[in-house]
Amino acid sequence: MRIMDILVRDAVILDVVADNKDEVLGQMAQALAAAVPAVDADRLLEVLREREALQSTGIGEGVAIPHGKLPGLDGLVAGFARSGAGVDFESIDGQPTHLFFLLVVPEHAGGRQHLKALARISRFCRHDDFRKQLSEAAGLDEVLKVIEGEDEKF
Amino acid sequence: MTADGVVERSFKVRAELGLHARPAGQFVSLANRFTSEITVGRGDEWVSGCSILSILSLAAEHGSTLKIRAEGADAEQAVSELGSLLETDGAG
Repeated sequence: MRIMDILVRDAVILDVVADNKDEVLGQMAQALAAAVPAVDADRLLEVLREREALQSTGIGEGVAIPHGKLPGLDGLVAGFARSGAGVDFESIDGQPTHLFFLLVVPEHAGGRQHLKALARISRFCRHDDFRKQLSEAAGLDEVLKVIEGEDEKF
Repeated sequence: MTADGVVERSFKVRAELGLHARPAGQFVSLANRFTSEITVGRGDEWVSGCSILSILSLAAEHGSTLKIRAEGADAEQAVSELGSLLETDGAG
C-alpha cells in the first residue's frame, strides 16, 4: 500500500490554524468531506473524537495519526495537515504536534489494511529527515513530492 | 540473570486487531518503566521498544511473532511483563 494511493490531494492542509486538538480534527474532517462525497464531516468528527477520548493519537515526535471508521467508503482514505506553530494534541510525550495524518477506514474493513497504513506512516515518520522535509516543504506539490519520494523507497 | 543480563524471548501478538496505536502505546508506556534497554524484533528488523512510531512500523498483526530483547538490571522482569502484555488480547 502506498500512502500516495490513499492520500486525498484536496484534503491536504498546508498550514492548519488551530488553537486546540478539536479544531484540527474539525478542519481535517471538513477538508476530507469536501473532497470525498461518501464522507460526512460531522459524523467523521464524532468518530475521531470518540477515538481520541480513548487515548490521544498524538504518538510523539510531533506526529499524530487520528483515525476512525466510517460507513459507505469503498476503501481507505487519508488526509494530511501541517502546523508550523504546533498544536497541543495531548500527545503522549507532551510535546506540540506539527504533522497530522488522518486515516479513515471503511466500517466493515478488517484491521489489516488499517494496521498496514498506520505502519507505513509510522515508518516514514520515525525518520527525522522525513519529518523535517515535510515540515519545510514549500507548497502542496512539494509536500506530495516528499511523501511520494518516501513511498518509492520500499 | 546477572545484573547486566540480556534476556530475549519470542511472543505472539494476541490483540485481535494486531499491535495498532492503542496497544502500541500501552507497550511503550510499560517499556519506559524499566531501566533496561528494550528492543523489539520482527524477522530481521529490530526497533526501539520505547517509541510508538517504531513499534507501529512493524505492522505486527494478530498472531504474528515478536521478539523482545532487554538489556540491563531489570531485563528479566521487563521481558516477562512486556511479553504478558503482548499475549493478552485485552491489549487491543
